[in-house]
Amino acid sequence: MAGPSIQTKKRLLFLLFFFTALIAALLVRVAWIQVVQGDKYQKLAFEQQTQDRIISPRRGTIYDRNGKELAISASVETISANPQVIKKTKQNIDGMAEKLSEILEMDKETVLKKLKKSSRYEWIKRKIDKDVGDKVRKWVQDEKIQGIYIDEDTKRFYPNRNLAAHVIGFTNTDNDGIFGMEKVMEKYLKGVPGKILSEVDAGGLEVPFKEEKHIEAQDGANVYLTIDETIQYFAQKAMDKAIADNNVLNGAAAIVMDPRNGEILALVSKPDFDPNDPRGAPAGVDPATWKGYTAEDVKLLSETVWRNKVVTDTYEPGSTFKAITSSAGLEEGAITPESPVNDFTVTVGGRKINCWKPNAHGNETFEQGVFNSCNPVFVRLAQGLGIDKFYSYIKAFGFYDKTGIDLPGEATGIIHKRPSEVDMAVASFGQRFTITPIQLITAYAAIANGGKLIKPHLVKEVTDVEGNVIKKYEPEVVRRVISKQTSDTVKNILEGVVSKGTGGNARVAGYKVAGKTGTSETVDTKTKGRYIASFSAFAPADNPVVCVLVILDHPNTYPHTGGYIAAPVAGKLVEDILNYLGIERQYTEDDKKLLMQEVPVPDVRNVTIEEARKILKEKGLEYKVEGDANNKDAVIMEQTPKPNASVLEKSVIILYTHKPAKDVMVRVPDLSNKTISEATQTLNDVGLNIKVNGMGNAFAQSIAPGKEMRKGEIVEVEFRHLDTE
Amino acid sequence: MTNKKPFDFWIFATVLVLLCLGTIMVFSSSAAYAYNTFHGDTYLFLRKQLQSAPIGLVAMIVVMNIDYRKLGKWSSILVVVSMVLLLMARIPGIGRETKGAWRWIYIGPINFQPSEIAKLAVILFFSYSLSKRKDQLKYFYKGLLPYLMIIGVYVALLMFEKHLSGTIVIASVACVILFCAGARIKHFILMSIPAILGVVAAIIYEPYRLDRVRAFLDPWKYKQDEGWQIVQSLLAIGSGGLFGRGLGKSLQKFLYIPEPHNDFIFSVMAEELGYIGVFTVLLLFLIFIWRGIKIAMNAPDAFGSFIAIGITTLIAIQVIINVAVVTSSMPATGMPLPFFSYGGTSLVFLMCGMGVLLNISRYANYERI
Repeated sequence: MAGPSIQTKKRLLFLLFFFTALIAALLVRVAWIQVVQGDKYQKLAFEQQTQDRIISPRRGTIYDRNGKELAISASVETISANPQVIKKTKQNIDGMAEKLSEILEMDKETVLKKLKKSSRYEWIKRKIDKDVGDKVRKWVQDEKIQGIYIDEDTKRFYPNRNLAAHVIGFTNTDNDGIFGMEKVMEKYLKGVPGKILSEVDAGGLEVPFKEEKHIEAQDGANVYLTIDETIQYFAQKAMDKAIADNNVLNGAAAIVMDPRNGEILALVSKPDFDPNDPRGAPAGVDPATWKGYTAEDVKLLSETVWRNKVVTDTYEPGSTFKAITSSAGLEEGAITPESPVNDFTVTVGGRKINCWKPNAHGNETFEQGVFNSCNPVFVRLAQGLGIDKFYSYIKAFGFYDKTGIDLPGEATGIIHKRPSEVDMAVASFGQRFTITPIQLITAYAAIANGGKLIKPHLVKEVTDVEGNVIKKYEPEVVRRVISKQTSDTVKNILEGVVSKGTGGNARVAGYKVAGKTGTSETVDTKTKGRYIASFSAFAPADNPVVCVLVILDHPNTYPHTGGYIAAPVAGKLVEDILNYLGIERQYTEDDKKLLMQEVPVPDVRNVTIEEARKILKEKGLEYKVEGDANNKDAVIMEQTPKPNASVLEKSVIILYTHKPAKDVMVRVPDLSNKTISEATQTLNDVGLNIKVNGMGNAFAQSIAPGKEMRKGEIVEVEFRHLDTE
Repeated sequence: MTNKKPFDFWIFATVLVLLCLGTIMVFSSSAAYAYNTFHGDTYLFLRKQLQSAPIGLVAMIVVMNIDYRKLGKWSSILVVVSMVLLLMARIPGIGRETKGAWRWIYIGPINFQPSEIAKLAVILFFSYSLSKRKDQLKYFYKGLLPYLMIIGVYVALLMFEKHLSGTIVIASVACVILFCAGARIKHFILMSIPAILGVVAAIIYEPYRLDRVRAFLDPWKYKQDEGWQIVQSLLAIGSGGLFGRGLGKSLQKFLYIPEPHNDFIFSVMAEELGYIGVFTVLLLFLIFIWRGIKIAMNAPDAFGSFIAIGITTLIAIQVIINVAVVTSSMPATGMPLPFFSYGGTSLVFLMCGMGVLLNISRYANYERI
């Protein structure tokens, strides 16, 4: 018999190749799944096979430098369900939804939808209070409910609300840090979640013959920031006040740094937010239409309240930059404090540069040039150094680089790559290039600490649950920029700026403050308050322990100069901080002269006029009697101001010999621009007393002119120097 | 030439190894499912498979000793019987609806899929008829068309049962025999046009098939629904890695893979035995195909040659489609894996087919080792 034909044999051979090729292809395919992608699938499989209730770790606490709690994890509970188990056990889903929605105060349909899902794990409600969780627990136990779980959870809580919000940041509902230090230090704070590793089948029931493994959660480590809660509070309060006083439109920023080690003691960026509700509607937004989660809303949040002006905003430093130019000139030996200079107009590239003072200061020493903040002096100094030298200092002070502060989103400004003579001329007094506030304060810290540029940082150390230090953050010196000697000279000159020059409003009796004013124009040439007023300071000038930078963005007021509106804020802040740090005041003769003795008002009620006169004289106070003034034995019934109020020496206390049927009222006079003595006189003339804040000319008074006050009461008056650029 | 030689050792050994491996895998994969579904009766499927396997072995040895040439004259009767049975499966009382399909016949204690008989009937009938009429095959109307019509009847009957995988297997096997018998390539190309249209129509006509295509294209998107099986299968295969979790240690068989002892038994095996196991099993099938085709090439007559290629194709097509489905290389269809997927009667029919193949090998002229 004949076997298969040749044609059949050929086709059989073809089939052999065909089948072999297909099987080979499948072998490659399986290899791809098993060998190449095996790990991925194994992980996914593991997740679904062990997807049980997770034991969440307690997120570490964020402390300030003194161990005060800034961010803590509060114990709450989370209710979850396993819809597969509920389905399998054939429970009354409708009844369960009813009860759960009642306890948890939720919409019943929402709960029902979750219970009917085909998944094995559904959140019903997260982060509920313990007592609500207990109610669910009781119901589950009483009714023998299956597939509803009550698990421990933690919720992030920020006890100080807005305080240092930009530094601390916030977490999402999963307790993942997504902003600020919460994000930066995530790997330490987070901890490792625990798991109940019972292998489960697709129904969510535990697999038979398998052992259950408990993996305990590892709580997160604690982070100690360099922030000092008290100083942060001072700074924040100061900025709130400055914004209100000066009608600041675009927010404000303040940084307090320890120049010796780069530790940030306070960081304020305004507007800010409450990290307990970071997605709340910012001011000026209708809360009714606000979601907080849409792309649009998040964009708005990022541009306003979440924006950390200290690291992400760039601005022209203005005259504050003259400290850098001065340092360069002094370090290069191009100038000394006593060098004769003048501030007559200088022309660069056809552009005339004048001093801010209409008729200029004329011939002066370099030091005076800095006190007076004369632009031409710095232009000539920079020209003397030359482009390469001058810009090498800008680079050395770190203005071309990020400072490397441990916050996300640090920006760098726009700064000349190939500067021309004109670029350099205007840069010498801080114009036409931009920097970030953190760059400027870092540079000032270098001047203050003897010449070393130190990387600013916000984290001091990390400790484990038992309190053992697991990571310590040491100061990092980037480079030496100027010598100790130059540093001392610049410190001395900047101290003069405050004690004798344009920084007078930052003056604090008893503390030597060094600093420099800055008034920068912004690109918004037409908008209201298009300036940025700033003041950069450090104190005590001979041995600085704090460096402060205050920036007010778009103050819609006049005058809008840094010396007028930012310097007093910085000065007050420095005073509060040094006081708090226990730095002893050393009064100079000048201070003593200016310092007027305040005395507490004694209680002279129920004594005779004669006795009262003696008591008041002892305290250095004057008096005026209303009523029976000639009867020396008349008894004082009432007095203004009341006992223990604090008044200046020589204030007039009004004494009443009878209960006044009606208070004697006087009209408050307008004190605008008056000097301290003028204002005191004006008030005394109408029978009112004064409380003096600051120096210079009256800037604000606690009771508006024209209002009526009881005779003898105290009007608080704030004074400022007007002669500030 | 009539004197019998030894049967093909390679085929015999391969079949035995596959049968053993298959039985072990049925137990391993079904244990959790059986425990859960049949109230703790972990060994249910193993017990049943251990009853069928010896019957299958006996059937194979008996058939192995029946001269295949005697089968030819029964083939046309077998075709008629199989067609009637396929129809009967659709009659409620005899057939029974399972998951929307009518694939099974229940007569007394015996239940089986008539498509199993149809497979053998088509192989035998086509081989027998074509070995006589293969010269006519070059003509379309009097040669090829009658065979296409028989295929058409089977396709219609199987689709009536909603048995897509059976349709694919029978149509493929019939076409392969036609191809080997010398049908013209031109005609195949012409045929492919209505065939493709038919497949498209079948997919569009039944929404669940369209869903399966969608699930194939993006199984992760339909993870909770149509894509569930495929996703679970991929997770099982993937987590096997190179060496596997070890025999019996699959985790995916715990109700993640639906009926893990049926069409997706390969996935469980891949998870437990790893790529090493997959490679070994596919290599065994490849050896089987190689020997099957060798028998076909060296068969003493065209009849034997066509049966041999028919049976070889029957195995090959099922293996290829099954593995392709579980690895998400093609849209899902319920294709069993020969020797592995659980099923008593189908195993017995399969072993009968092996018997026929081995019997042909006894008359073939070639080196056996």
